[in-house]
Amino acid sequence: MRLRDQFRFVRQNMKKNRTRVFMTILATAMGCAFLIVLASVGFGLQKSVVKEMTEQRVITQIDVHGQETNEKGGFRQLTDKDVKIFEKVKDVKAVTRRKQLQQESTYTIGNYQEPTQTFVANFPSEVKAGFELSKGKLPKSKDEVVVGYNFLLNLASKDAGDDMYDERGQVKAEYRYTGKLLGEKIGLTVTQFKDGKQVEKTIPLTVVGISKKPTKDWAQDSSVFISDEMLKEIEAFTGTPKGFMLDQNGEKPQGLEAGYDTYDEVKIYAKDMEAVQSISDQLKEEKYATYSVVNELKEVNMVFMIAKAGLIFIGTIAILIASIGIYNTMTMAVTERAPDIGIMKAIGANPKTIKRIFLLESSYIGLIGALIGTAVSYVISYTVNFAIPLIIKQAFGKETEINLIFSDIPLILPIICVVICYGVTIISGLRPAQRATKVDVLKAMRREV
Amino acid sequence: MITIKNLSHDFVIGKKGRQTIIPVLRDISFTVEKGEIVTIVGRSGSGKSTLLNLVSGFIHPKEGEIWIGGEKVSELNEAKFADFRIKNLGFIFQSFQLIPSMTAFQNVELPLILKGVNENVRKQQTEEMLKKVGLLDYQDHYPGELSGGQQQRVSIARALIVNPPLILADEPTGSLDSETEEELLQFIKELNRDLGITFLIITHDDQVADIGNRKIELLDGRIVEGVLV
Repeated sequence: MRLRDQFRFVRQNMKKNRTRVFMTILATAMGCAFLIVLASVGFGLQKSVVKEMTEQRVITQIDVHGQETNEKGGFRQLTDKDVKIFEKVKDVKAVTRRKQLQQESTYTIGNYQEPTQTFVANFPSEVKAGFELSKGKLPKSKDEVVVGYNFLLNLASKDAGDDMYDERGQVKAEYRYTGKLLGEKIGLTVTQFKDGKQVEKTIPLTVVGISKKPTKDWAQDSSVFISDEMLKEIEAFTGTPKGFMLDQNGEKPQGLEAGYDTYDEVKIYAKDMEAVQSISDQLKEEKYATYSVVNELKEVNMVFMIAKAGLIFIGTIAILIASIGIYNTMTMAVTERAPDIGIMKAIGANPKTIKRIFLLESSYIGLIGALIGTAVSYVISYTVNFAIPLIIKQAFGKETEINLIFSDIPLILPIICVVICYGVTIISGLRPAQRATKVDVLKAMRREV
Repeated sequence: MITIKNLSHDFVIGKKGRQTIIPVLRDISFTVEKGEIVTIVGRSGSGKSTLLNLVSGFIHPKEGEIWIGGEKVSELNEAKFADFRIKNLGFIFQSFQLIPSMTAFQNVELPLILKGVNENVRKQQTEEMLKKVGLLDYQDHYPGELSGGQQQRVSIARALIVNPPLILADEPTGSLDSETEEELLQFIKELNRDLGITFLIITHDDQVADIGNRKIELLDGRIVEGVLV
């Protein structure tokens, strides 16, 4: 019997009891929609979290915080020796290392000032890692500096009061420095307690470059990059590594001297995302403390995978309940059509053909249900994503802080649903189909079944 | 065409432990030649319907062999017998056995669908067959909308549509009036004469029994000696 004819048979049979078939399809569609919508919450939240994580960090970046020195949790900061080791690791694109001035540094230009962070960076490696300037050039001499893109925006008048910041946390235009910055002299004021007295030193520096605007809209870069030689001059003034500020008594904390020549921030940039894991693994073997967004993503994805599997499992229960309806419908169909089955068998219908027709009918019900359920779940998903932020805004008077996706239906989800639904309907239709093949021809023709 | 060798069959009735075996056919042997019309007669309970059901493959014999067209059908399983049936056998039943939800056209077309024949060929052959039995104008009628004689003609058309060399008929005139019975018997004779179709007919009607080349009488599951014509 041709497949086309089998489909025609199935359609004819389904038309015989439209209401019952419709109710069964409805139950299946509801089960499928429940599964998809439920799992879509897991997919949506995962998408939100992953988006949030990847937006805030460079995906190929590995932060190295230091190295364990013994089993008891001993820890040491990283030096040039470590950097050289990192640079030799396979698939490492760049290793950036920064030293941070260990006190709040204030920069002044005329009547304007800005307290900000000061770093010493290795520019060749920074450039390799993607550091770019929007204006000017990289520093070459001891007193040349590069400032962050937002440095100028936060350079405020010394006369400004407490109301100098706007609602976005930026210095208001009327207090902001509006003059030229590139090529100008700025003063860096560093402080130290000497003999119980606070002593200040202002070092003149020349701005030769301004970094590129951060790619993320929300990111602010007001830091200043000074040269290593300048840091040494500051260290000579403070008498402490990286300009560490002592207390009034001038007592040096234990282990402070070890701070010379160590880096505060070391970042490894892998060639691609796939290399991050192998680099992290190698560093972990050497007892380096690392962090990468890929590792975190792996853990987050694992948690969400378990959550999604759980949600799909719960959704599957709904489909299983719907399958009872399919089983019932098919059993009724076999009972009602037993005389017809008997006649068909009598004139030469193969039992396999009869089984196939009934399996086709149950899978037809299942697939139509799954398709309707999928369509409905897309509508629900869009409605949820549209309506929930509005409801939150109405109820709490403000929008959600992060751009939450409440429901997301990737293509794999309907595919999973259709596969589960098809499998379940085949199983539930199997026994009635088997029963159809066992219909006794003589009893059926005597209308005894 | 048909060879029956030492065919015996019995039915087991009753629940397990208290079963009773009722012998129905005992050591039956006969042959039906190609192009013959053979009628099997006998009183009610003589085993004639069981004999036809065994030849049709609706039940499996306990003992003996059934050969149809050189094929030992008594050893075929259900699926293989179904394939054999669709190619070689046509059936005419007393109560027509038409599918009530299908039109006359669809009922006649059904064996061709099961055989996997192309839709256009099916349509042409079914229309030709309905024309042959004089029911082309009734092709869209459901069995419930046709008279007994018309239904039996649809049933015959369904039996003939696959051009079977053998037609098995179980009380073909049992539900018809005498006038329609006469017409039907005439039609069977024509089919036998013009197309060489072999008929094995079960009947208790003498008029039907007389159309055969041979008549086999069954009594208590045995062939009554001396009645072979």
